Amino acid sequence: MVSLLAVYSSTGTLAYKYQGGNIVYYLFKHGSTLIFGLIITFIVHLIPYRLYFGVSQILIFISVPLLALTLLMGTNLNEASRWITIPGIGMSFQTSDLAKFALILYIARYLSFKNKNDLIKDFRYGFQPILIWIIIICGLIFPANFSTSAILFITSMSLLLFGRAKIFHLLSVLGVGIAFVIIIILAAPHISDWGRIGTMASRIESFVGSNKGKEENPVDNFQVDQAKIAIVTGGFFGKGPGNSSQRNFLPHPYSDFIYAIIIEEYGVFGAIMIILAYLVLLYRAFLIVSYSKSMFAAYLAIGLSFSLVFQALINMGVAVNILPVTGQTLPLVSMGGTSIFFTSAALGIIINVSKDNSKEKKSKDKEEDVIEA
Amino acid sequence: MNTRNQILNRIKFAYLGIVIFSLAIVLRILFLQFFEKQQWYDKQNQISEREITIEANRGDIYADDNRLLASSVPFYELRMDLKTDGLTEKIFDENIDSLAYYLSDLFKDKTKTQYKDDLIKARLKGNRYKLIRRKATFIQLKALKTFPIFNRGKYKGGLIIRQENIRIQPFGNLASRTIGRYKKGRNIVGVEGAYDAELRGTKGIQLMQKLSGGIWMPVRGGTTIEAIDGNDVITTINVNIQDVAESALFKQLIKHDAHHGTAVVMEVKTGEIKAIANLKRTINGNYKEYYNYAIGESAEPGSTFKLASLIIALEDGNIKLSDTVDTKNGEIEYYGQSMKDSHDGGYGKITVQEVFEKSSNVGVSKIITDNYKSNPSRFVDRLYQMNLNEKLGVEFRGEGAPKIIDPTDTLWSGLTLPWMSIGYSVQITPLQTLAFYNAIANNGRMVKPKFVKELRYRGETVKRFDTEILNPSICSKQTIESAKEMLLGVVERGTATNLKNKNYKIAGKTGTTQLANKSSGYGQNSTRTYQASFVGYFPADDPQYTCIIVVNNPSSGVYYGNLVAGPVFKEIADKIYASSFNIGKIDNTENLLADAIPYSRSGYKDDITYVLNDLNISKIGTSSKWINTQKLDTVVKYFNNRMVKGITPNVRGMGLRDAIFLLENRGFEVTIIGKGVVKYQSVSAGEKYNKGDKIILKLI
Repeated sequence: MVSLLAVYSSTGTLAYKYQGGNIVYYLFKHGSTLIFGLIITFIVHLIPYRLYFGVSQILIFISVPLLALTLLMGTNLNEASRWITIPGIGMSFQTSDLAKFALILYIARYLSFKNKNDLIKDFRYGFQPILIWIIIICGLIFPANFSTSAILFITSMSLLLFGRAKIFHLLSVLGVGIAFVIIIILAAPHISDWGRIGTMASRIESFVGSNKGKEENPVDNFQVDQAKIAIVTGGFFGKGPGNSSQRNFLPHPYSDFIYAIIIEEYGVFGAIMIILAYLVLLYRAFLIVSYSKSMFAAYLAIGLSFSLVFQALINMGVAVNILPVTGQTLPLVSMGGTSIFFTSAALGIIINVSKDNSKEKKSKDKEEDVIEA
Repeated sequence: MNTRNQILNRIKFAYLGIVIFSLAIVLRILFLQFFEKQQWYDKQNQISEREITIEANRGDIYADDNRLLASSVPFYELRMDLKTDGLTEKIFDENIDSLAYYLSDLFKDKTKTQYKDDLIKARLKGNRYKLIRRKATFIQLKALKTFPIFNRGKYKGGLIIRQENIRIQPFGNLASRTIGRYKKGRNIVGVEGAYDAELRGTKGIQLMQKLSGGIWMPVRGGTTIEAIDGNDVITTINVNIQDVAESALFKQLIKHDAHHGTAVVMEVKTGEIKAIANLKRTINGNYKEYYNYAIGESAEPGSTFKLASLIIALEDGNIKLSDTVDTKNGEIEYYGQSMKDSHDGGYGKITVQEVFEKSSNVGVSKIITDNYKSNPSRFVDRLYQMNLNEKLGVEFRGEGAPKIIDPTDTLWSGLTLPWMSIGYSVQITPLQTLAFYNAIANNGRMVKPKFVKELRYRGETVKRFDTEILNPSICSKQTIESAKEMLLGVVERGTATNLKNKNYKIAGKTGTTQLANKSSGYGQNSTRTYQASFVGYFPADDPQYTCIIVVNNPSSGVYYGNLVAGPVFKEIADKIYASSFNIGKIDNTENLLADAIPYSRSGYKDDITYVLNDLNISKIGTSSKWINTQKLDTVVKYFNNRMVKGITPNVRGMGLRDAIFLLENRGFEVTIIGKGVVKYQSVSAGEKYNKGDKIILKLI
């Protein structure tokens, strides 16, 4: 966790260098966001995770109407209505972040008691009720933000998998989901005025197209090409901190394509370190699960960390162009307001669970406890 | 526990998937780096960036009352891409007639047929950069954009616009040599040159990237360095005094058909140069500013230098004003060289005061040789102590260096001392002479001539220039008094009685120099070149301004300083005296009361009402928020000045504050020329506008 925080701040520090002219402004802005994130992590890690058992229900009931509201009247950023402005404060935040958070908490809770007598294996009483929630939430996110919805969907499926749901059920739901997406994409040209479907379809087209060597969408291909140049010119050890030149060409170098910039500056070596950091995080979650007495704690930890790492991998996959362009940020590294706060909160919860575990098995891992605190 | 193991196994399975995906990412990176390396390096070089500099707006130069002396105004070079994609044969053929008609109508430089033939020819040749107009104004550009073909936009119409800032001087030639003329890449003289670093500002940098299709686009993401506009320079030049100085000098130069002349006015206390005119005869007999003689021309000053000589003798206690000197018959010989007074027959025995008033060469040289022949270094050292051998250190390039040799110099001879005492064998610029006389007027304190008061950035003072003291006291108080008495005597009783007037007193000294001709020396009958000068200050009892006039080579037969240079001095002094409240308390109140109703402007209704209420003046008419006013016999009438969104408001008749408020609120970029009330606006009222449009206001 400590190493992760280091990556968090060090690469984070680099992120604002990409801002050229306005260094101080971005440094200050991002710096204060990071500090605020740390504070959130700290506060959250003090809250006993058992509290979320109840909170998760409230959260999920709040997030559904919020999502619907956002879809109807949210702020249009890049034509995607993902944001809602909190009245009074004037700060806008992405409701899907909250929903994602809420859904994972809820699934963790659900699994923890449905698992007691293998109820989850039953479709009607175990599998179906939770599936409905997943479909509602993912469905509400889908029009505005396909990738987040897909990631959340897959994360939920994985959680259910860990929750010992029947593989057959999972595969069939996954199959239906994929079929649904394909239908939407094929229908896209006819209903392209509806939300982000147009963008979505063109991105996928351009991804497929660019691999065939065609230039379908100059703007997206431009991003991808610039990212590739960044990766290639980075070499094994990179150009060194602050020496990126591609950051000038890559749109949103500080969020969507930050991984490409990291490779440019730190080389393959840096790229591997980042991946390892995420794998370590996931491994830690895995340890928590294996030691945890509480089922809820286990699902909480694995759910949150899995969603975090999964998103990170998607971001990296986009940057190196094995996936089409999405708007996913690299958790903990990218700049971007509210997503950092939710990530920080998630980290706080994981730390709390881990702390609680180690208290239970006092004999072992005392040092780690200190570190994590 | 079985359940736990099952869970763990499933997680392990997922973890494996994650690890595989991670490996895929790493492999992908390596793949790109090793196998597609060349391709992307090539691409990097191909899709390249380019930095373009954004020119900063050059600062303006202002007169001491904030009137604009030099400013940059945008002009546009208009070209046409006749082969642009959207310009099809059909569109071109259909519209070329009307386009040619409009162009001819707008610029009025070529006929419609000429324009048409020109454009058709250019299109046949495939010209993609055909010049339409080199210096179009903003108004012309706006009109042009509405013309057929051009109104189709950049890519379909092919109009290529390049903005260029051109330096203009609203007052034309006024003090132009001192203000300087800014031209890119040239050596610049005057204030433009001396303060170029301040005026220039800092260039901005904009990174452009090439997109597919050869379009250059600014790179997003904060790579731009904003251009910082240059500072404005506020000079000490006073437009009114400068105007008088120039026209008075001009008149006199014409009258005497002189080669060139200079006139400089300096404020006694501060050293501020209020006017500096330099005129030289052109081939066709006109006069123009070509060279800054006042600053650059170091020449023999002649009689005006006698003041320095006598000050030294007075300061050393060798003479008193009342001492008598025998000038005999006006001729004296030094080592076989004869020196004459201009007055034939001489003055006989006269006092020192009279020697100066009558500008007797014999008298002055006699005083100096009598007292310093044995120790000429003493005399020269004294001159040095009064800073007469030093450059003033003005900021302009090319200040002439004074030349006063000392007895150790190989050029020094027995003739040097007597001739030096009357202003020959020495060289000094008019500005240096002026600074010396100014020191006398300023009770011994010698200040450096100041041309620039302050630097401003967007109206805020960045730097203020203080008066620089070159010598806190060039001689004793007592000597100053004697010097002043002598200078006053010149006008009251001496060689410059033609300047005497009953309103105020002038103190000064004439100078008539016979210049050494390069080929024939001070030839007796060969081409004699004279330089007439007058330097002095006024009012004599409380000096406010010092002024020097030098006229070179008057060729009308008259060459005396009082007659050639004196009238210029008088005209300038009269004008300053008449218009300056500090000096002449002219009663103006009657004029002010003549109109019962004051002139009122257009503007914000509440403000105008407030003022009129205060003055107890009644007003009639409607009342929208913004109004125009008209003065009737005893009342002021209000008219609606309707403000409509998206339509340029009418700001004519408004003061600057209201006009700027209205226009800048609507997103106009406002350029102002002149001061007073808005008389003219470059975008007419009622026209539609876009945010960021430029508008020029002329104020009178």
